[in-house]
Amino acid sequence: MIRIWLRGLITRRPGPLLATVAGVMIAVALLASLGSFLASAQASMTTRAASGIAVDWQVQVSNGSSAAAVRRTVLAAPGVTAAVTVGYAQTTGLTASTQGTTQSTGSGVILGIPANYAATFPGQIRFLTGKRGGVLIAQQTASNLHVAPGDTVTIGLAGTRPLKFIIAGVVDLPQANSLFQTVGAPASAQPTAPPDNVLLIPIADFAKASAALSAVHPELIHTQIHVAHSHALPPDPSVSFVTVTEAAHNLEAKLAGAGRVGDNLGASLDAARGDSSYATVLFLFLGLPGAVLAGILTVAVANSGADRRRREQALLRTRGASPRLVARLVTAEAVIVGVVGGVLGLALSAAVGSIAFGSASFGASVGSAVLWPLGSFLVGLSIAVIAVIVPATRDFRSMIVSEARAQIGIRKQPIWMSFYLDYLLLAVAVVVLFITTQSGYSLVLAPEGVASIQVNYWAFFGPGLLWIGAGLLIWRIARFLLGHTPRLLTGFVRPVTGNLAPIAAASMSRQRSMLSRATVMFALALAFAGSTAIFNSTYQQQAEVDARLTNGADVTVSEPPGSSVTPAAASVISGVAGVKSVEPLQHRYAYVGSDLQDLFGVRAGSIAAATSLQDAYFQEGTAAQLMARLAAQPDAILVSAETVKDFQLHPGELIKLRLQNASTQKLVTVNFHYVGVANEFPTAPKDSFFIANSDYVTRMTGDASVGSFLVNTGGQSTNAVAAGLRHKLGTSATVVPITAARSSVGSSLTSVDLAGLTRVELAFALVLAAAAGGLVFALGLAERKRTFAIASVLGANRRQLRGLVLAEAAAIAVGGTVAGAGLGLILSQMLVAVLTGVFDPPPTILTIPVPYLLATIVIALGAITGAALLSARRSRRPPIETLRDI
Amino acid sequence: MTDATTLFHAERAGHTYGTGATAVVAVREVSCAVTSGARIALSGPSGSGKSTLLHMMAGLEQATSGSVDWGALDGHPAGRPDQVGIIFQGVSLIPSLNAVENVALPLVIGGMSYDEAQNRARDAIGRLHLESLAAKLPDELSGGQAQRIAVARVLAAGPKLILADEPTGQLDRAAGIHVVDVLVEAADELGAALVVSTHDPAIAARFASRWTMHDGILASVSPHDDDFTDRTAS
Ligand SMILES: Nc1ncnc2c1ncn2[C@@H]1O[C@H](COP(=O)(O)OP(=O)(O)OP(=O)(O)O)[C@@H](O)[C@H]1O
Ligand SMILES: [Mg+2]
Repeated sequence: MIRIWLRGLITRRPGPLLATVAGVMIAVALLASLGSFLASAQASMTTRAASGIAVDWQVQVSNGSSAAAVRRTVLAAPGVTAAVTVGYAQTTGLTASTQGTTQSTGSGVILGIPANYAATFPGQIRFLTGKRGGVLIAQQTASNLHVAPGDTVTIGLAGTRPLKFIIAGVVDLPQANSLFQTVGAPASAQPTAPPDNVLLIPIADFAKASAALSAVHPELIHTQIHVAHSHALPPDPSVSFVTVTEAAHNLEAKLAGAGRVGDNLGASLDAARGDSSYATVLFLFLGLPGAVLAGILTVAVANSGADRRRREQALLRTRGASPRLVARLVTAEAVIVGVVGGVLGLALSAAVGSIAFGSASFGASVGSAVLWPLGSFLVGLSIAVIAVIVPATRDFRSMIVSEARAQIGIRKQPIWMSFYLDYLLLAVAVVVLFITTQSGYSLVLAPEGVASIQVNYWAFFGPGLLWIGAGLLIWRIARFLLGHTPRLLTGFVRPVTGNLAPIAAASMSRQRSMLSRATVMFALALAFAGSTAIFNSTYQQQAEVDARLTNGADVTVSEPPGSSVTPAAASVISGVAGVKSVEPLQHRYAYVGSDLQDLFGVRAGSIAAATSLQDAYFQEGTAAQLMARLAAQPDAILVSAETVKDFQLHPGELIKLRLQNASTQKLVTVNFHYVGVANEFPTAPKDSFFIANSDYVTRMTGDASVGSFLVNTGGQSTNAVAAGLRHKLGTSATVVPITAARSSVGSSLTSVDLAGLTRVELAFALVLAAAAGGLVFALGLAERKRTFAIASVLGANRRQLRGLVLAEAAAIAVGGTVAGAGLGLILSQMLVAVLTGVFDPPPTILTIPVPYLLATIVIALGAITGAALLSARRSRRPPIETLRDI
Repeated sequence: MTDATTLFHAERAGHTYGTGATAVVAVREVSCAVTSGARIALSGPSGSGKSTLLHMMAGLEQATSGSVDWGALDGHPAGRPDQVGIIFQGVSLIPSLNAVENVALPLVIGGMSYDEAQNRARDAIGRLHLESLAAKLPDELSGGQAQRIAVARVLAAGPKLILADEPTGQLDRAAGIHVVDVLVEAADELGAALVVSTHDPAIAARFASRWTMHDGILASVSPHDDDFTDRTAS
């Protein structure tokens, strides 16, 4: 019996059945694809966190303990793949005599490394010139001493005689911060900067040198075991973090005081797991509405077949089918729709996964490999159940109370309207938004070193309630416009209906229930596409700004401290292919009171051409305004908000700084006038700093030297330009392209690769918008057919019939597009506000991806018009047959 | 025997639904004529082809054999409510339009302005004493009331031939008789011919001409009917 019934369903009304299956498929595919994004993002975060560090653990050997014994213990620890002994010794300073002059530096550090060190930890040492073995000197130190390979450097050692070394090569130490960390000290007690002067010497030479030093100053020497740990880690950063941290603690316990573990790998994973939580949050914020929308559309389409279903069930009942049999048939239908839709959805998501993320896997771990598809599948099944069984049981009940009258859309106003649920939800949404965007509130809390991460799920209520509240409000407004503004409606439909306009308007006003629901669905689909697209482009834009803020510009050329390169050197840089413009940026230190702060000298008129200055970086004016103020007044200065507070500054007030004079090396007092606040500035540190006019600073200090050059390449081929600059400038300056900053900005979500999520989301949003456009026309199809049949018997021609259906389509399309665009804008604004942790600083304006949005609107409108014309065409079948069907 | 007063004429006309094995012959070789002023009741058992024949008269169903013509009408009557008005067996009102709008619809479709059509519709409703129903939606009407509004719609359009397919089918006898009275009243006002199909002998008895159908064959007529010539009888 069930088989016959199902065969009947498939052959007799494949349309609604297929639409329901498709709806389930889209919902399942969306969820499973996003799950696979999440899994792949997490796995890549773990990989990146692990591969980004040169030395996984630095085990500091305690004074008096045997380094060899510690090394043996370390090597025996599980997961350890290599352990290398490294000596550290303080030097009082380095000197070198070249070309008749003698340069000397302040204190520094001598490292003793074994010959295989660079091969074991490839990320630690970057060879610039000279040999790869022997005595190596850090690039900045070489520059300070004006030495090159072959030159001799003398190192001073406290309380013992100096030693001479011949330089074999010049190197860069990209991870100097962790290399020279104080092992075991909290972040606040770490040195603020790595030592300026570093010499790397073979461990045998180091042993000789340190023997003499240790006799007088043993506290200036220590030994570390540098450890490589296996990077075969669990894909989830949080799990990896726990694994690695526990292993480090374990090792420390085994060492029993003989050594302390500096867990670089754990620290890197610690940052990654915060990002991973943000990825989860983003998934929920951006993906869930789409899945819910797919569900709603599916249910709505399934409901549109309710009339016919009612008749079929009545027929079954009159043929003697028991209520239980009818229930069994309906359940079978729901299960089949759910299973088929679910399987197709999983297949689709596997395809999407392999296209967008390069892997069809659903999860990072075995657990999530099962959980994501299973979860999505179950959601799909529930959608099918709601879509098929709920209307069926409702029909069944109403049949029993024999009120199965010809129904038209004029039901009473929905209950929620009478108690203003929409206003209520929107009000609560505003309150939640207010609370969750207060300063001090943070969406994801990942305290350093603590295993658990807190995600503040309250934040979801804001956008969630906004979605629902706005949907209901659109519904209310659509109902109102359709029901209570007949003149407006008549005028609106006149272009397509001609003299039938009043009749069409009257008919539409009576069908406002159906039409307003269709409008809401269309609007929500567009809002989903719009908010997702706007959020994604804003995010991408902001990631770019973030990277530029850290790096300074597309490419930044930094001069070593104390260099005397003047702005004139810009011409050398602009000679390199691909360079669009160059801006010199002075970098000095200035005393304000007893406080030492960075001071940046800019050319206010042209700095904006080489880097992005966001309004959010400044207070007391926009970026453009403040730069104009600087340009207009030579002694103008921008200071940090903190300085304003500490010194109680008012705009225009005098502020005296002490700067070093180039010729006398003495501090001179320079007068500035405070004109605004700078909280962020390209290349500037996160804490306090000053921005002033470089010409004025040059004049007052007799020093035109430049700290760095900001190079604008128009965002193109930054790596190639950087390579060109390196070739031209040699080791005299450090060249960093923005791409390097992009991969090292690891503290915020900007490091999560959204590209995959973006592609999947935008594709689904487009499909949903098109489906909504096409499917809303399935609503009220039965009524429309009957109306058409009667109208054509009464003489309506094809143009008139098309007018009637186009009038409905136009109302849904125009209302839905306007409401959807508005809601999409508000939602993206809200997403940006709520996801504050993602944006630091927050974007000044939303970035609107016009081509995508236009394409979405065009496709959705195309779908709705197509569906309308198709339904007008279908109505051309002999009307008499339709009438007999009724 | 087509003349100036013959509104519909069929010559050995038949109608077959479908083809091949599933073909159903609904009307067989019917020859008949409806002249102006005629009052005809068409009765016969269920499935005998009454609806099909009426639809053929309205031009909504083609003759698949033989020939039909509408000599005294202004061309083919399909979609011309000002020529032939039809009331269907089931509901024939648009559910999202109220009574006046339903009645005005064919006029507006024909090109009349909505205001004028509305006046005419109210007028027709008034003539059938249905004013109290004017603002109601089809859902809010009883079956008989809905059929009377359908009659008003025919009246407003002013056809020369009125066809009613079991307008009383789902009504009790009193309501049915009321609807038929309204139909006759409308036909009288317009001076139109009226053909009503019915199962109910009491209703058939109120008509001067009574035609009977059986298995698609127009079998017998009341003796004093001159509109009917049975050429199928051999
Ligand atoms: N669209 C159709 N397709 C196929 N067969 C049809 C169609 N419409 C009617 N028939 C068949 O044609 C025959 C005549 O039908 P018709 O509706 O004309 O009868 P009727 O006399 O009006 O019956 P009732 O009194 O039940 O209304 C029946 O056998 C019916 O099953
Ligand atoms: Mg019939």
